[in-house]
Amino acid sequence: MVDKIQTTIAVDGYVPAQVKTRKIPYRKIVNQTILYGTLSFFAFLSLLPFLWMISTSLMTGSDAQVGRLVPTTALQFQNYQSAWVEGNFGKYFMNSVIIAAVSLTGMVITSVSAGYAFARIKFYGRNFIFTLLLATIMVPETVTLVPNYLTIRGNIFPLPFGDNNAWFTFDNSWYDILPALTVPFMASVFSIFLLRQFFATIPDELWEAARIDGCGHFRFLIIVCLPIARPAVFTVVLLGFVGSWNSFMWPIIITESETWRPLMMGLNNFVTDAGTRTQLLMAGACITIAPILVIYFIAQKSFTQGVATTGLKG
Amino acid sequence: MFDYFIVLGEDLRLSVSSITPTTGTSTSPKTGRFYINPRIFRENMTGWIFIAPAVAIIFLFGIFPIGYAVYMSMHNWRTRNMGYVEFANYTNIIGDWGGAFVLACGFILLIFAYIFWTEAFTADREKWFFLRAFIAFLILGVGLFYIVYAWEMMLNAPAESARLLKYREGFFDGLIRTFYYAFGSIPIQLSLALLLAYVLFQNIKGKSFFRMVFFMPYITPTVATAVVFGKIFAPGESSLINQFTQSLGGEAYRWLQERRPFLEVVFGWQIEGFFAGPSMAMVAIVIVGIWMYTGYNAVIFLAGLGNIPKDLYEAARVDGASEWVIFRRITLPLISPVTYYLAILGFIGTFQAFNTIYVMRDTRVLDQVNTAALVIFDTFKVDGNYGYATAQSILLFVIILALTQVQRSIFEKRVFYG
Repeated sequence: MVDKIQTTIAVDGYVPAQVKTRKIPYRKIVNQTILYGTLSFFAFLSLLPFLWMISTSLMTGSDAQVGRLVPTTALQFQNYQSAWVEGNFGKYFMNSVIIAAVSLTGMVITSVSAGYAFARIKFYGRNFIFTLLLATIMVPETVTLVPNYLTIRGNIFPLPFGDNNAWFTFDNSWYDILPALTVPFMASVFSIFLLRQFFATIPDELWEAARIDGCGHFRFLIIVCLPIARPAVFTVVLLGFVGSWNSFMWPIIITESETWRPLMMGLNNFVTDAGTRTQLLMAGACITIAPILVIYFIAQKSFTQGVATTGLKG
Repeated sequence: MFDYFIVLGEDLRLSVSSITPTTGTSTSPKTGRFYINPRIFRENMTGWIFIAPAVAIIFLFGIFPIGYAVYMSMHNWRTRNMGYVEFANYTNIIGDWGGAFVLACGFILLIFAYIFWTEAFTADREKWFFLRAFIAFLILGVGLFYIVYAWEMMLNAPAESARLLKYREGFFDGLIRTFYYAFGSIPIQLSLALLLAYVLFQNIKGKSFFRMVFFMPYITPTVATAVVFGKIFAPGESSLINQFTQSLGGEAYRWLQERRPFLEVVFGWQIEGFFAGPSMAMVAIVIVGIWMYTGYNAVIFLAGLGNIPKDLYEAARVDGASEWVIFRRITLPLISPVTYYLAILGFIGTFQAFNTIYVMRDTRVLDQVNTAALVIFDTFKVDGNYGYATAQSILLFVIILALTQVQRSIFEKRVFYG
């Protein structure tokens, strides 16, 4: 090639005008196609169950029976209404919201204070207790399940607040009432771990300055640390909410009436009630998933960041 | 324990022990009397008060129950305590303590076989290579024989009653199915996730969109996932999965209601015992497991890929390394801590998996899909045999601990922490 050009120059005495063909980067195009193709394929697989669920939930019963992929008639939005009424989702929804609100309030308070203490206060036994707490993550839920059930029944030690009529009597059972669904979740090792990691990054200068101004730990935590730690607390609340919304095994064993059963149990019970009416069941599933997905779309960044820092969800 | 927290380059051990707290009590150098430094004492009290609520709850519902479970497992406890029975519950589940010992030996031999095998490749290769490899195979064979032999020995050991024998078989089968579940889903999950993360890590437009989509299955409530997949994997020609298999020229399978092994149903292979593989219903559950956790693993992998220094890639490109070599020699070794962590986490997760299987299982195939966690749950909830359930759960705990230790001892050397 080079030789040829040089010969041309030698012969004709001028540099030939370069033919301005834009070189088509075939290699790059193929690469990009493969990359985007792979991603789109897996994205489609991830989304498929959601799409199918939404599509089926808007079908008529006969369409759902023969397994159509898209509704053939007008969209049946009344499926949602019937599912909501038949599955008693209003009740379950309310229960789940109350359970989440109560347990998250407690969880944030205990985790913030404990996370702060583990990060910034020097006290005796700190490393030991923190290690002990982390070690509990390893323990399978099935090990603690049976003893916790007995605890809730009030068989192991007396419990306060159990009686609906008297405010403070010991020797009660929490079986089938709100405290059983919330109190065990009012502390979470993951949240403590996450907040501890965050509080540890707050510079010591702030603490020293506050200290000189006569500020104690409590005041420092409320006035200085919490405003800085707002994103971390937000992440903890989000992950805690997902965990609380998801809870299923524990409510199965400590509830017997509808009074406090959460949404996931409601959905599971609805499987038998809906029977072959798949469209109603899918509408019910949509109802239970919707709040989580809405929150996820709004606060996506906090979710992924929180999961990437701890590697775990609430 | 702490290995699981050395994710993304953060070593907890350093940060925990960087400040050593003091008790606030000491002997005064002047007077030689014991005194309490009021400032440090105050600091201590504040710390304890701050952690008190969290520690109290975690202690009551997370630590105390472990001890109480051990206590319960040594009693004949059927909804109420009917007396101390020492290790009878364990004996009934294990069947034969000698068998358990042989089983443990078998697993230790497997580790030895692995060590010998790697030795054969790392030590001076030409000399004794075949001998070393042969010894490794020999140990592997002996170990496997021990395991199979011990398994049969424990299963066939005499039981006090047919009912107790059924419990034992249920638990053993549950362990095998947990094994299928773990080894069917985790390798696929991890490799797909690494692939996705690797692709996402290239300069991709819409990266955050794809990441959001991949993460959605993980954030979805598990019960709802199970309900939807329960319908997708329904028997009959109209279910989504069967429409798919039929369009590929296959037939409609019964999926979640199919108790026959998957190899027999799909390929017609008639195999007995362990190698028959999981039932078709279990395969459906494994597929759901893969769907749920691949995206999550990909997001963690993506975070890990971001932590690999860029100059390594640049240096390799300057030297003319191909993309595959770069992936094999730089990305894979440097991402190995994350892989290891995700493998351990997934492993523990499969041993505890409950929600999806509980919702998706069909009463007709209970004995084909119940993994260990569900077997324990049924012993507790359906049979009301608390002593047995706790004994089973503690055995499961011991098995999880042992297996994570095995994974650690095997992979520790191969994991590169930078």
